[in-house]
Amino acid sequence: MKKSQQEAYKQDYAAAKKDGKPFFPYAIYKDSLIALLAIGIVITLAIVARVEIGEPVNPASSDFIPRPEWYFFFLFELLRIFKNQNVLTPVIMGTFIIPNILILLMIIWPFIDRGPERRIWKRPISMAVGTLVIAFMGYMTYLGATAPEGIGSGETIELEPQDEISTRGTELFIANGCGSCHMIKGVGAAGPGPNLTNEGGKNRGVQWQIDHLKNPQSKIPGSSMPAFASLPQQDLEVLGEYLNNLGTKYK
Amino acid sequence: MTTKDIGPKGPVVKTGEAVVDYVDDRSGVKTGARWFLFRNIPKGTSWFQTLGFTAMALFGLQAITGIVLAMYYKPDTNTAFRSIEYITDEVTWGWLVRGMHKWGASAMIVVVFLHMGRVFIWGAYKYPRELTWVTGAVLLFMTMFMGLTGYLLVWDQKAYWATVVAVNITASAPILGPYVGDILRAGPEFGPNTLSRFYSIHMLVIPGGIATFIGLHLYFITRLGISEPPWSKRRLRIERDEEDARRRAARERQSLAGRTVVPAGEPAVPARAEVAE
Ligand code: HEC
Ligand code: HEM
Repeated sequence: MKKSQQEAYKQDYAAAKKDGKPFFPYAIYKDSLIALLAIGIVITLAIVARVEIGEPVNPASSDFIPRPEWYFFFLFELLRIFKNQNVLTPVIMGTFIIPNILILLMIIWPFIDRGPERRIWKRPISMAVGTLVIAFMGYMTYLGATAPEGIGSGETIELEPQDEISTRGTELFIANGCGSCHMIKGVGAAGPGPNLTNEGGKNRGVQWQIDHLKNPQSKIPGSSMPAFASLPQQDLEVLGEYLNNLGTKYK
Repeated sequence: MTTKDIGPKGPVVKTGEAVVDYVDDRSGVKTGARWFLFRNIPKGTSWFQTLGFTAMALFGLQAITGIVLAMYYKPDTNTAFRSIEYITDEVTWGWLVRGMHKWGASAMIVVVFLHMGRVFIWGAYKYPRELTWVTGAVLLFMTMFMGLTGYLLVWDQKAYWATVVAVNITASAPILGPYVGDILRAGPEFGPNTLSRFYSIHMLVIPGGIATFIGLHLYFITRLGISEPPWSKRRLRIERDEEDARRRAARERQSLAGRTVVPAGEPAVPARAEVAE
């Protein structure tokens, strides 16, 4: 905005104010009415939809679903999209680049859009950017809300041939909640972890898999996968063998 | 301070007046309250302009219900979950307070986003209100961080693992990530200290930050005045007048160029300086 336009705005606003009404009581009464309504809605929801108590934390435990509050769904969805499947979808896009671009854009927006115009229909670019961001976040939140939370009870993964490793490995995979972040042959959640159906094809080696489970960050720096160091060594070995042959020996 | 219409003043009234004057002389509360309450705002402010106040009221509600919860909550990995159960099942009205705190958090997020949407759509972040927007953006960020830190306090499986993932994501960011991760976790691993750290952040650090920034936000709003709806009656009238003036000026120019005679009865309009919108 040019200096003259700033002055013009100030004058115009002073005129509006001169012609206006006192904040107290005209604005205060509207404010209080809506605030009381909001508090009423909160109390009603608290009575109608009682809070639940979940399962106590067990860091060594099996089945869990890492599900955040709904207003972080869009971030988790970003992880599902960007999970290193190819060069176009590096994990860092979902974990760092896009969220930070959104935050930065929000903070510096008034210094980007500096025109004097305030009417909606005369600000097509602002409105387009705003609508795009809102639609994107809304859609991602919707996806997050409707995404499967993991492997349903009774569901299992059909792998051929069935031997000790493939049966026990599938059991461990399900029991340890891997399915809330990974998918094997269409079973489990589509993210935030990569699809493991063809994990064996990567030829990581059994030892790599075991080390990765014990400490994911040591093998994939910046991985957001929790560590499974508390699993018994025997189970780790089965899982390592299992993962290392997914898609090659076990299809 | 003088009060005239109550007849002869008793000693109580006199003392009261003296006390108020004494305090105002030193603190300026009266002046401040007048500055805040009895300033003019533009006519025709809309119901959408109540959302900021509503966010503030919900923050107050969170503070009150939070204080009550803190009276029973025990921030220790061995007792946290049990104390939440106790609040929900045994404390009188405990389930209601916890429910209000939980739903209040969601409601606050919704209202803050709606408030931000209204500011955006109205272009109310433009000169001179840029810094009001920036303080608001910080408030949004802190409000969401409240949600993240509070979620873990319940110490149940769902929240625990979601928080593990969220903190791992933070720690994976380049350069500062690992340090922020360590700060949040109170070390390289999730443990007992993580819970008390989140408790302290959730109970002291961010609420203090939010209160401070609400103060700043309000100072800016009061100083600059709440913006007028861009389509208020007054604005529309000015725009119509401007449009008329523009049209007349154009007609005049045309008539001068074509040397046509100005129709009788039409008053000559002085070319009006265009007021920038
Ligand atoms: C909270 C979510 C989560 C859970 C639970 C989880 N993982 Fe992961 N996992 C991830 C993410 C995210 C990655 C990708 C990390 C990256 O590439 O940055 C990953 C990566 C992997 C990889 C490496 C894939 C590659 O690049 O070759 C394997 C193997 C794996 N996980 C196996 C498992 C197993 C087995 C379990 C259960 C014991 C499990 N994961 C549980 C999130 C999870
Ligand atoms: C805890 C969160 C917040 C609180 C308590 C709050 C409070 C308020 C209040 C009481 C007002 C007065 C007018 C109104 O109610 O609309 C206001 C105006 C304003 N807010 Fe916020 N706000 C919050 C978050 C935000 C956010 C996230 C933004 C944007 C990024 C923002 C930007 C603004 C701006 C620019 C104004 C001035 C608008 C005008 O003059 O028309 N605020 N805020």
